[in-house]
Amino acid sequence: MSAPSSTAPSASPLHALLARVNLQQYVVYVGFLAIFLFFAIVLGDSGFLTQRNLVNILLQTAPATIMAIGLVFVLSAGEIDLSFGSTVAVSALCGAMAMAAVPQAALPVGVAAGIGTGLLVGAINGALIAWLRLPSFLVTLATMGLVSGIARSLTQLRSIPVTDPLFTGIFGSGTLFGIPSLIIWTLVAAVICHVAYRQTRFGAHVLATGDNARAAQVSGIKVTRIRLLVFMISGGLAGLAGLLYSGRLQAAKYTLGETDLMTVIAAVIVGGTLLNGGKGSIIGAIVGSLLMGMLNNGLILMGLSVSDQMIVRGLIILVAVAVSLREKSR
Amino acid sequence: MQTKTILAALLATTLMTPHAFAQTVGPNGETATPTSEVVLSDDDIAALQGKGYKAALLWHTSSDFVNAVSAGAADEFARAGVEVVATTDAAFDAAKQRSDIETALVAGPDVILSLPVDPVTSAEAFRAAITDGVELVFLSNLPAGYVHGTDYAAVVTDDLFQMGKQAADTLAAAIGGKGQVGWIFHDADYYVTNQRDNAFKSVIESDYPDIEIVAEQGITDPARAEELASAMLLQNPDLAGIYVTWAEPADGVLAALRSAGNTETKIVTLDLSEPVALDMVRGGNVVGLVADEAYELGRAMAAAGLKGLLGEEVPAFVVAPALTVTADNVAEGWQQSLHRDAPASVLNAQ
Repeated sequence: MSAPSSTAPSASPLHALLARVNLQQYVVYVGFLAIFLFFAIVLGDSGFLTQRNLVNILLQTAPATIMAIGLVFVLSAGEIDLSFGSTVAVSALCGAMAMAAVPQAALPVGVAAGIGTGLLVGAINGALIAWLRLPSFLVTLATMGLVSGIARSLTQLRSIPVTDPLFTGIFGSGTLFGIPSLIIWTLVAAVICHVAYRQTRFGAHVLATGDNARAAQVSGIKVTRIRLLVFMISGGLAGLAGLLYSGRLQAAKYTLGETDLMTVIAAVIVGGTLLNGGKGSIIGAIVGSLLMGMLNNGLILMGLSVSDQMIVRGLIILVAVAVSLREKSR
Repeated sequence: MQTKTILAALLATTLMTPHAFAQTVGPNGETATPTSEVVLSDDDIAALQGKGYKAALLWHTSSDFVNAVSAGAADEFARAGVEVVATTDAAFDAAKQRSDIETALVAGPDVILSLPVDPVTSAEAFRAAITDGVELVFLSNLPAGYVHGTDYAAVVTDDLFQMGKQAADTLAAAIGGKGQVGWIFHDADYYVTNQRDNAFKSVIESDYPDIEIVAEQGITDPARAEELASAMLLQNPDLAGIYVTWAEPADGVLAALRSAGNTETKIVTLDLSEPVALDMVRGGNVVGLVADEAYELGRAMAAAGLKGLLGEEVPAFVVAPALTVTADNVAEGWQQSLHRDAPASVLNAQ
């Protein structure tokens, strides 16, 4: 838990605490419930409430949710990562290529290659930002392009099929005790990261770094190491998201994750994580991601044209962000 | 893999047959049936109406072309009393398309019209629709391993070979059948543009011995067309003509010619677009636009799906005709391709 920020502009500590701890996080849950109820009423007979559809929403948002969890760490540390979307693609492709190269040990090799690639991209980002003190916005903007280019050239834009049944079961279509594997992965990532974020010294150090890096440094926190680690977490989780995409589609392609960047950033912000660090919520980010997925799903089922879907989605995100930011500055 | 096979089949066809008969062939080498032969009869309409059938349009992107295809499909569905319950745009993202399919299936469509963004990734994505017993009609691409009749009703596409060929014929006529030309092609593994680009090149090489392609330039980002064209013109100042893979990058090529004060080099490109059409009717560098009959394509997709629903035989591979639009037929061309009036600026400039 972070202490109230001493840098919060023109807010008394009590107000800041209230706005940050309660009201602002309240927004995403109220918004989620309101939109859920709206769709449930309007689309009651269009299948929105069917188990199949609700499971669809969970499955469809799983990779984005995992990316969102990684982004919470980065934002909480006062940095930003724009490269996780392209890291998803390059990780999925490296995993698929490794599996194709070593089919007799596809699962371990594919997982190692996929997650390893994500960690490597994260480590490069982190090293440039932590040690060279380059601004994370620019570093990750650059690596986003760099990694996208590598993903494209790795396979000359072709898709790589993923055929290993064990891999596609564990990372895509399989179930355990009736629960789809994608949901299990989301839960595992959520629980581990939530505990790390809320209950450990590391989580507190991440928040302290984002709140006031100089103060954190003075108080003995290894700010450089924290910065490196948050980017490696983001990269590693992007790698996991890449594996989930390739398991679900039974193929990897350079476009995977490309369109997730803005959705994930919006989900995390709506979920109560500050863009400039020091405060965040893993659970809020997960609900934010589900909110985005539910919006996509419900607007399609309402039979809206694509342009109208974009307009309505944009307006709802705008309202959600506006409300959460207003709460924050009270 | 699929694209390679198609390309090989295309090249084989090109090499083996006179060009008058060269044509677009299906993903598995099927001969093409014109869209004009896929028509709902009055009996079909009567059999479909009042049944509460539903359809979904799961597109790969949003564009003028997609809008025209959607309009053709929507009108045909409306004629048969079929409701369109979902329309989506996957933004060329295979994962998003899979989500779109799953979401749309909840609305219970009987027919899905879609362009699979990629043969490999789409194969798994559309399985759920097949399991649900939905009639699938694909635009241009076919998911790998799908079998006609059991997995899908039909693949409908443009006559891509004819589009490239007509572009070659139009440019050749404009430059008097001789000279040096530049070829700006789409540098991506994308069936539609690859087929059209390669058809242009192969027709120039085989049918026009006095025309030489001296500059080849791949393009992925239309926004970079101007700088690419400027470089091409710098290295080849005597270009008589330039082929541009589609209309959006042609805007950039046109800008490059204008800033160089070049009024001689002719441009031919594919698809209808207001800026290039305006230049064409004003007697500028653009000599022709080759378009497809997008509205007709959408109509035929809907008809193919509904015929499949009625258990009728549907040809595996259906093509919509290509259409060359010049300054002389721009008003008719717009109607025929997109089923709407040409932009006022273009009509007024004539």
